Amino acid sequence: MRRVEHVMGFPVSVRIDDEGFPEAPVDGLFAWLREVDARFSPFRPDSEVSRLDRGEVRDPGPELREVLDLCEEYRIATGGAFDVRLPGRGLDPCAVVKGWSVQKGAELLWAAGARRFCLNAGGDVIASGGPWRVGVRHPEHADRLCTVLDLTDRAVATSARYERGDHILDARTGRPATGLISMTVVAPTLTEADTVATAAFALGTEGVEWAAAREHCEVFAVDADRRVLRSPGFPVAGAGAGSVAA
Amino acid sequence: MKRAIPVLVLSIAGLIPLWRYAPSPDTGPASSSAAGAAAPASTPSVSSSGGPTTTVVSGSTIDTEKGPVQVEVTFDGDEIASVRMLQQPNHPQTTAAVPKLIEETLQAQSAGIDTVSGATITSDGYKESLQAAIDARG
Repeated sequence: MRRVEHVMGFPVSVRIDDEGFPEAPVDGLFAWLREVDARFSPFRPDSEVSRLDRGEVRDPGPELREVLDLCEEYRIATGGAFDVRLPGRGLDPCAVVKGWSVQKGAELLWAAGARRFCLNAGGDVIASGGPWRVGVRHPEHADRLCTVLDLTDRAVATSARYERGDHILDARTGRPATGLISMTVVAPTLTEADTVATAAFALGTEGVEWAAAREHCEVFAVDADRRVLRSPGFPVAGAGAGSVAA
Repeated sequence: MKRAIPVLVLSIAGLIPLWRYAPSPDTGPASSSAAGAAAPASTPSVSSSGGPTTTVVSGSTIDTEKGPVQVEVTFDGDEIASVRMLQQPNHPQTTAAVPKLIEETLQAQSAGIDTVSGATITSDGYKESLQAAIDARG
């Protein structure tokens, strides 16, 4: 089963290979992502995030609390380079909300019995079962790949500037992060992969080792000099390995 | 010096998991907050010799389950020039846990794939993307 819908401004592609898997849990996944958009988007004046930012809500609900705790954890871990509260700007937890909400969505599919599926949310991928062959987009050529990995029961996220420009700021300087061209992180969950990739991108070149030193995280980075740095455990697809049916 | 402090905390935060590394499952996220609480202890020594100011800061000693850890960080201006271990536990996992990054040249390739990871693509950009082609192929 395959389905593509557009939520939060990006495409979400689902492929489920379990035989006879019903439509209802997939409807549930998209309903959840639309709910997250309504509640946590800083671009909607009536969202929980906007109301909290304006001081109209004193205590965030448990789910927003979970998101804000993650934001704070990564702000500390990056020495302030990753920060969802930049001076002169509203609260913007998008960098954490995306990975976190898609991970929760994947858990809904799992709870409904899906075992072999691949979820791609605007370039962030959760692989359940596997191996799935996941290409990493080449940072300079939209139609090419810079590496291919075999992914089983893990997630991968990439942060870069080629789609939406200088949207990641180094909060220590308030200026766009420019040390890296592309940062790809493989982790057990998309919550971690997405946030670590964004935080490492904000850190710049020092972010590569920072991310690689995190337990269970594997990295593939392209720096401003177009050098590739990857961790030994990054699951590059084996040479000569056949493609699984696509 | 104001900005050296958070950077030092970051370095320690990054290093702590290396010594905590053990087949126990509960080290990950907790380690950063634990390290965040560890304040740098020593007075930094600053030496300037024409170029960017060089600052050497010693972190406080942090007890981990593998033994005490203390790092010394040298800054050139705001950049970390080097990190040196003043104290480190003698444990075989110490070296195994430090990832040695592999350096390669950037390649452009195409291959049979199931899906594509990339920077967040907008719904507008999707139409022209590799992922759209994969989805359309079904």
